[in-house]
Amino acid sequence: MGSTAPESMSGLPKEEADVELRLGDIPLRQTVELVRIDLPADRAEPLLERGVLPGCRICPVRSSPTGDPIISVDGSLLALRRETADCLCVRLLSDFS
Amino acid sequence: MPTLTADPCVSCAQHRAQSLVRLGISTDRWDYLIALAGNPNVGKSTVFNELTGLRQHTGNWPGKTVVRAEGAFVHEGKRAKVVDLPGTYSLLAGSVDEEVARDFVLFGRPDVTVVVVDATRLERNLNLVLQILEITDRVVVFLNLVDEARRHGIAVDSSRLERELGVPVVQGVAREGAGIDDLVSAVHEVALGTHAVSAVRVEQHTAEVEAALEELAPVIQDAFPEVPNPRWVALRLLNADEAVEGAVLSGELGQLSHDESGAVVEIAPVEARQRVRKTAMSLRWGLPSDFQDVVTGRAYEVAEQIAARVQVRGLKKVGFAFDRKMDQWLTSRIFGFPLMLFILAAVFWITIEGANIPSSILATVLIDNGHGALKALAAGLGIPLWLDGLLLDGVYLATAWVVAVMLPPMAIFFPLFTLLEDFGYLPRVAFNLDALFRKAGAHGKQALTMCMGFGCNAAGVVATRVIDSPRERLVAIITNNFSLCNGRWPTQILIATIFIGALAPSQLGGLISAGAVVGIALLGIVMMFLSSWILTRTVLRGEATSFSLELPPYRPPRILRTLYTSIIDRTLIVLWRAVIFAIPAGAVIWLISNVDVSGVSLAHHAVGWLDPAGLLLGMNGVILLAYVVAIPANEIVIPTVLMLTVLTGGSAVGEGAGVMFELDSVNATGELLRAGGWTLLTGVNLMLFSLLHNPCSTTIYTIYKETRSTKWTVVATLMPLVMGLTVCFLVAQVWRLAAG
Repeated sequence: MGSTAPESMSGLPKEEADVELRLGDIPLRQTVELVRIDLPADRAEPLLERGVLPGCRICPVRSSPTGDPIISVDGSLLALRRETADCLCVRLLSDFS
Repeated sequence: MPTLTADPCVSCAQHRAQSLVRLGISTDRWDYLIALAGNPNVGKSTVFNELTGLRQHTGNWPGKTVVRAEGAFVHEGKRAKVVDLPGTYSLLAGSVDEEVARDFVLFGRPDVTVVVVDATRLERNLNLVLQILEITDRVVVFLNLVDEARRHGIAVDSSRLERELGVPVVQGVAREGAGIDDLVSAVHEVALGTHAVSAVRVEQHTAEVEAALEELAPVIQDAFPEVPNPRWVALRLLNADEAVEGAVLSGELGQLSHDESGAVVEIAPVEARQRVRKTAMSLRWGLPSDFQDVVTGRAYEVAEQIAARVQVRGLKKVGFAFDRKMDQWLTSRIFGFPLMLFILAAVFWITIEGANIPSSILATVLIDNGHGALKALAAGLGIPLWLDGLLLDGVYLATAWVVAVMLPPMAIFFPLFTLLEDFGYLPRVAFNLDALFRKAGAHGKQALTMCMGFGCNAAGVVATRVIDSPRERLVAIITNNFSLCNGRWPTQILIATIFIGALAPSQLGGLISAGAVVGIALLGIVMMFLSSWILTRTVLRGEATSFSLELPPYRPPRILRTLYTSIIDRTLIVLWRAVIFAIPAGAVIWLISNVDVSGVSLAHHAVGWLDPAGLLLGMNGVILLAYVVAIPANEIVIPTVLMLTVLTGGSAVGEGAGVMFELDSVNATGELLRAGGWTLLTGVNLMLFSLLHNPCSTTIYTIYKETRSTKWTVVATLMPLVMGLTVCFLVAQVWRLAAG
């Protein structure tokens, strides 16, 4: 769980692969894998309980009237605040299609 | 939609009548105790209703049940008591409602804990199941919403899951009553011990943790011999769980385990409690610092593995696009807010247009004919005049007014609102409004408690338990009164119809009135933001905590069921409350209008005394007196205003003091009020004051119970009142200036 794949797997141009991606930067409908939650344990816990676990797949599906994301994770929709989304480190999945 | 009734008997009422007798809330004596646990919004309350035959209101949003509900049923001669716990994601209590659930599972010693699980989100739900299995073996898992999972292309192998977990797994769709009978038999077997359970335990500790547990558990057992699972308590203590530590220190731990059986227990001696704490502290030093992460991480890992083994994914998805489409509109950047206003306005418009005719019919029957007939009967029986006046002109008329004025709009408004709730719209409203709440320094879930407040402020105050941060919870409690409640909607609707709708041509009247009511409701929301903003920048300063809110899938509302429950649960309960308060109020009003002091009635004195202040506020003495009489319940403001207007105005409509006749429609009510000197300003300011004044006595009491603080109760009571007086005063002055 939460193991980081080699960078070459991410299917990104080299210079972008070095940049740490945050969920807040991911365009809509782009599925990513959660790498790490940069929040203190007490604030990360509610996310873990709702299925936002390192290694899980997250897809931002909508954004609110004020720019907060709605993400799809483990079959359900979760509304987050932008600040929270910016604390979620993610990586792109390699595209096989 | 696929149904799961493999056995045709299951859905047959006859079959159920034989095996299951629902006992509603008669829970005085029972053979076994069942706790219903589960994540939020997985349909626990629906399962509860199906088991007990009760009609606890269910809503499609997380955090609906915040206090535990109790019910009972009989199966094969055994009485079972069922306790519906608040939905929680885990037992590592963060908020008050999670604590309620955790304490009950741990210390309430249920004979069986039924964990309701959402088949669509198995992995996450299993986390809670595994945590509960750490505490007790006697668990039955009810795999709910298998139809929804199927729509998402997911099927679950329940017998495989049963083997993995080591406890019975029953699948079904509670909304359709499917699987409930199987659940009852499984619970019965586990309770009686005829079905042996051997639950899977994720606990796999390193040697040093294991050694620490071995050392700590006996110390706990020694201090609290009644605690069912000392190992679990030990593990929580090693994890420095503040809630469990607190329960140990205060001796509550041992107390709670006896809560349900009613036996009196002695609190464990102080030395024993201190010993537990000291041992735990010293053992904690010897453990690695990342110990906690290892333990919780392990549970998630096991949940993930089990879910992966029992789920069949990638089946054809059905009807999945609908949710996305709905959300595209309802939470849209452009349409989100306009649609919210439109939906709100439509609900009011239907209420206003629809309530007119039944209201006038009820008034004709109850007031014109009913009152006259009763008077004639009383005269025939030779009842003394004062008694006849008190009972018929006071009590009966006040009650009849409440029914005629309030019943039709409520019977239309509540079902509509409940349909929206069942459909899953409220969390979208919370989501749309979160950004604003954040700017006001408040918690996003305050939007949910605000929506609850639209039903009843006391309920809204209790609902704030879903907010974990005490500071943000207090903000939500203090500002909840700005949500227009049940008791105030009818006032708003009636006054808007009489004074604002009447300004427009009759075809547009309903629309304009609905617009005015929406305007007042929005003003309430603005005031809520404003006061939250002020509070979080002055007396309740602090950092906003993170926010994540689950948006439940849209569920087709069950229209007939909703009509039934919203009429029983909300309309009749609110009406009953109004009637209870209207009876003494009617008597008081009749008395103060008929007891004379120096030739003038008490009501005249009071109204005359309050009139200058009332006029300064753009209202009148009658309204202010009505708000004093109506402190117990907002519902009776309008009937009180009407009666006092007739009684003190010497209006032509009545036959002498204390009697009202022939107010058979909204128009007649309007004429009566205008004859009493009411203007458009009076109407507008009454609507404003109805929004902005002290909460009713029930809400004040609830605020005190929830905050345990006189100071905050006083703040919550007086702040809206001061705001209301200020706003009405300013409006009146500006209005009069503008009118010249």
